[in-house]
Amino acid sequence: MLLGGFRLAMLIALAAIVLAVLAGLVVALMRLSPWAPLRWIAFVYTQLFRGIALYVLIIWVYFGLAVAAGVNVAPIPAGILTLALLNSGYLSETFRAGILAVDRGQREAATALGLTPVQSFRSVIAPQAMRVVLPATGNQLVDAIKDSAILSVIGVPELLHETQRLAQFYFRPFEFYTIAGGMYLVAVFVVSFLFRILERRLAHESPVRMPRGRLFGWRGVFPGTPTPGDIEPTR
Amino acid sequence: MTPAYHFDWGVVFANIGGLAKGLEITLEVALVGMAVALLLGLPVAIARLGRFRLLSWLANVYTQVLRGVPLFVFLFWVYYGIAALLSIALKPFTAATLALGLTGSAYMAEVYRGGLQAIDPGQREAALAMGLNRAQAFRSVILPQAARIILPPTVNVFVGLLKGATFVSVIGVADMFYLAQIVSLRTFTPFELYSVAGLVLVAVTTAVAGFVFVLERRLSRGRVAI
Repeated sequence: MLLGGFRLAMLIALAAIVLAVLAGLVVALMRLSPWAPLRWIAFVYTQLFRGIALYVLIIWVYFGLAVAAGVNVAPIPAGILTLALLNSGYLSETFRAGILAVDRGQREAATALGLTPVQSFRSVIAPQAMRVVLPATGNQLVDAIKDSAILSVIGVPELLHETQRLAQFYFRPFEFYTIAGGMYLVAVFVVSFLFRILERRLAHESPVRMPRGRLFGWRGVFPGTPTPGDIEPTR
Repeated sequence: MTPAYHFDWGVVFANIGGLAKGLEITLEVALVGMAVALLLGLPVAIARLGRFRLLSWLANVYTQVLRGVPLFVFLFWVYYGIAALLSIALKPFTAATLALGLTGSAYMAEVYRGGLQAIDPGQREAALAMGLNRAQAFRSVILPQAARIILPPTVNVFVGLLKGATFVSVIGVADMFYLAQIVSLRTFTPFELYSVAGLVLVAVTTAVAGFVFVLERRLSRGRVAI
């Protein structure tokens, strides 16, 4: 039962991040658009979802808005959508910084070669920006895994929800919560490790030398620890 | 479709005092948690950077474990787990500040470490050469310089704790959501109460987050590239 909850937590986090990457990309492009109103909308979107707490949003959407509008939202889709919205706010800033990190000459060269703006973004800018944003995207997935625990409050049967149920049933709270904490820790560890491997793969193919983090050891594997590959969203 | 929902904003005004009290409790949890994080984070960072291998290793494990476990799960672990293990009854408020403070201290330790490492080793060497002892050099040369670098990420940690303080009602801390839950069971007005509680918390968190945004711009403007 714990493993079932664990699997659901991973699936929810993954689905949320996939959606957040798509939305974040759109918002990042809007923020870089030459048309001012689009930029403002994107700016407000980013600031709003980076400022709001997941618990506040999920409670409001699930217990407030849904009741008032008389719609029944299933807990899992509601949870995925909320997680995706919040993460897209952070990812849009990451993507914007990544796109801006690609040398201007690259775009100019692409234009000079006769590529349309869409072509130049897809085949020149995006592949280079991807390497830059990869570590931060990995950290975002780690955050989504940790945040998915909050979805237990709307009854999503994920890891924490199952833990609470079992802890009450057997009256062994310390053991169950410790195991749950350990499972989150392992998930975080593994995801960070996989992203670090992916980062190395891409760095190999890159014509540009990318800084390399440590593959093994606490320092390189865990999220949030500043490593040479991480980027700070520039403003 | 459920039957049409009857809006009744009067319930918000009827409970305005309770909501204000709830907000005060949320802010109190965040501030006390932050104080614990500020106090506890520094020794952890110093241990991490220190010469003693074992202490440094322990400090590293401490920060990585506390940052890897979700705060939401840690809160339950402290409130139900620790209480059952030691057979003591923690007050919800104590458990909440403890969980927030400990998690915050792990994040603060990393912030302190980043700030301390950013100071040129020459500064310390110069201070020692001038006859200051190590504690003096740390207190009056390194720390003041590190403080400037540390400030914006510190406020970011506070934003994180403030967001964490929004969900302490799950262990029974009587914040705005706790009140909203109890009152709406009686009056069936979840939308009004949750909306007000949500909007107030969004306003507080975005205001502090906006403050970081301005602060970072300010500080980066004056910074000289070395």
